[in-house]
Amino acid sequence: MKDKTIRKKDVSDFLDRLIQSNRVYAPVMENGYFLFKTIKSGSEVNLDYQNAKMSPKDILFPQSEALFRYQLEKRDVEIDVPVQDEPNPVIFGIRPCDVRGIQALNNVFSKNPKDPYFEARRSKTVIVGLGCKETHNGCFCTTVGGGPCTDDGSDLFLIDIGDEYLIRVISDKGEDLLKEEDLMDAEAQKITAAAEVAEKAQEALGPCVEVQGSKDILTRRFNDPVWGAIAEKCIGCGVCTYLCPTCHCFDICDEALYKEGKRIRIWDSCQYPLFTRLASGLNPRDTVEKRIRQRIMHKFAYFPDEQGMLCTGCGRCVIECPVNLDIREALKVLLRTGAAQ
Amino acid sequence: MEDQKMAEPKTAKWEPTIVAFLCNWCSYAGADLAGISRIQYPNNVRIIRVACSGQVNPWFILANIQQGIDGVLISGCHPGECHYLTGNYRARRKFALLKSLLQFVGLEEGRIHFTWVSASEGVRFARVIEKVTDIVRSLGPAKKMVKRI
Amino acid sequence: MDALINRIREIARGLLREGKVDVVIGFEEGTIPFHSRPCFVRSPDEADRLIWNNFCGNNLAKYVVKRKERMAIVAKGCDTRALLELIKEKQVMRDQIYIIGVPCQGMIDRVRVEAELRSRPVRTVEVREATFLITGKDFEKELDIKEFLYPSCQECIRKNPVIFDELAGPEVEESVGKTYPDIESFEGLSDEERWQYFSHEMSRCIRCYACRNACPLCYCTECFVDASNPQWIGKSVTESDTALFHIMRAFHLAGRCVECGACERSCPLGIDIRKLNRKLSKDVHVLFNYEAGISLDEVAPLATYRPDDSEAFILEP
Repeated sequence: MKDKTIRKKDVSDFLDRLIQSNRVYAPVMENGYFLFKTIKSGSEVNLDYQNAKMSPKDILFPQSEALFRYQLEKRDVEIDVPVQDEPNPVIFGIRPCDVRGIQALNNVFSKNPKDPYFEARRSKTVIVGLGCKETHNGCFCTTVGGGPCTDDGSDLFLIDIGDEYLIRVISDKGEDLLKEEDLMDAEAQKITAAAEVAEKAQEALGPCVEVQGSKDILTRRFNDPVWGAIAEKCIGCGVCTYLCPTCHCFDICDEALYKEGKRIRIWDSCQYPLFTRLASGLNPRDTVEKRIRQRIMHKFAYFPDEQGMLCTGCGRCVIECPVNLDIREALKVLLRTGAAQ
Repeated sequence: MEDQKMAEPKTAKWEPTIVAFLCNWCSYAGADLAGISRIQYPNNVRIIRVACSGQVNPWFILANIQQGIDGVLISGCHPGECHYLTGNYRARRKFALLKSLLQFVGLEEGRIHFTWVSASEGVRFARVIEKVTDIVRSLGPAKKMVKRI
Repeated sequence: MDALINRIREIARGLLREGKVDVVIGFEEGTIPFHSRPCFVRSPDEADRLIWNNFCGNNLAKYVVKRKERMAIVAKGCDTRALLELIKEKQVMRDQIYIIGVPCQGMIDRVRVEAELRSRPVRTVEVREATFLITGKDFEKELDIKEFLYPSCQECIRKNPVIFDELAGPEVEESVGKTYPDIESFEGLSDEERWQYFSHEMSRCIRCYACRNACPLCYCTECFVDASNPQWIGKSVTESDTALFHIMRAFHLAGRCVECGACERSCPLGIDIRKLNRKLSKDVHVLFNYEAGISLDEVAPLATYRPDDSEAFILEP
């Protein structure tokens, strides 16, 4: 599939055309930061952004979603499962770390047994990634096997080469999206320029710690008191889990009023004290130390077991943690022998 | 007292729903007295008997708002007459703050009411219900903070 | 600032060396700009980790609740007021903490700085006399410290510790008079305008509970949001549930909130959380003549009553 190019000033019109038959999510600035929102016009989008404050995982895995609704009629119950009938979602301008986040969610929700709610959205979604030219001081995608301009998982991938973007056409879905467009084929020198931008960005962000073998090391250190020192300042607020592109824990509850109700799935966080409280009252993870240990091991020991790294190095947990609990620092302490912080 | 309700023809016009939390010893007894004396008052109110106005948890009021109740009334014994001595004093402080806070966020001022009605004040009770119903009716159906399932 | 840092370290070192405390809770350098973060020093050699600057926004009083160790705590004005309330509520004993008081000049609001920079990544921050210099990949910007302090710091009238065992530096000048011009002007708006503002702020909330967890006075082992029998509010992000969460959290803090601002600082989305708390502080002040975090002897307003309390809100038919 041939690479294409598009001038930066033509992107807004391109988006306007996409909006005709797709539901387009793109980064929009609001209150001084960026969020992925449904756009009504290409002019709302600002691609001159580092990353969105919240990861776009809520497009495929909403913060709250009705699994079914019910209605009580005399002695009957009528159950209604919502049908996914939105126009095709297009996530435009998503960063490689967030794309890898979606891949991690694929590994959770699209493997057997498939989650029909996630699948209904994912199967129709087209991902248009955007490579990073610059990283922020919380980024560490290269540490966890990613990179500022890696395109795996995207259907189309944009790289900034000055006045234009190079568009790598990676999948059939991506090609389909462009079929109505009259875009120029990319010239060889532009392809090279893009490759250079990608390489430069990758080199500029060296890995901060070696995570190879993390599963064995962390398992060995399960009862190490160093976890206590790492977790001591954590206030258990859950911001890290909510902003994380790969965190996917959820709670299911019913909400009802008089004769109607619904069962909803909502985000939950392993950092909340009652997350693992059992009906008997026993709570296996009753201290902050155990919960922090669980989060780090889930990402770097348990999940990699079967399904690849559960961290994409986006750095949101680093930037937004109210007490600056830096997961990179925690890994440095844990994955090297000795030397507590 | 004129019975306005029976004179009006039945229409599909909206009528507010009002929930009243009445303390067992004074206000509820006052409402009872109104009933026994055949004093007519609007039938929009649904009465919930509580032990004391001090027992009323602010959550009761907020839950009502969420469920779309148009108006809430809490009524207790006059200060100094509480069956539990100080329950209504506690309630007085709590609800001064709650009413002020709810008004501050933009909830219409006339949705939540507090009053004192003693066991011998059947007429006063009826008048309170009339006044509250009129105020809430003029505000229209509850819209703010109502939760739709 | 350096004299202050040295004095904090000196005091900490002394306390640990003499075995008077098991741990000193203070601030250390963060891993990224705009963040200094809580640290727990347990040996005299580590006392040099302690720092003090305009990024020490966390309220360290959070860490004293349910801690069995003897602690020293580096506390700025608002932290000491929170500590006072916690002592009053018997969540910590006075003789269990050695309070190293730090007169405070205010903390820089990184969310507003982020908005000012339109979220461009920051490389370094250098704090100067009255300004701070930010550098990024291809820009440099100098901003005025006073202008970019947290709103809670700009409105603060108690920068000096109200309770302490030792002061680490000279007291700073206080603004006088407990006033609430922001609340008064907000009260002057119409119902609809106030509701619009409130709903807009609530629609941004993601119910992460960072505000609740950062607050030193929210120490319940089971918060009302987790109650399931009865379930008071739904857990999903609906306008109604989110509004009620903030209203009730503010109400549970009525007469207890010391306006330290830890809630608004921890909010990742920079939502105006403190407004409701400020409103209740004003009401408590006007109606019950009480200010939280000032006196160990005054009883909390909702734990007491006066026969002549205001009845202005009572309905008369």
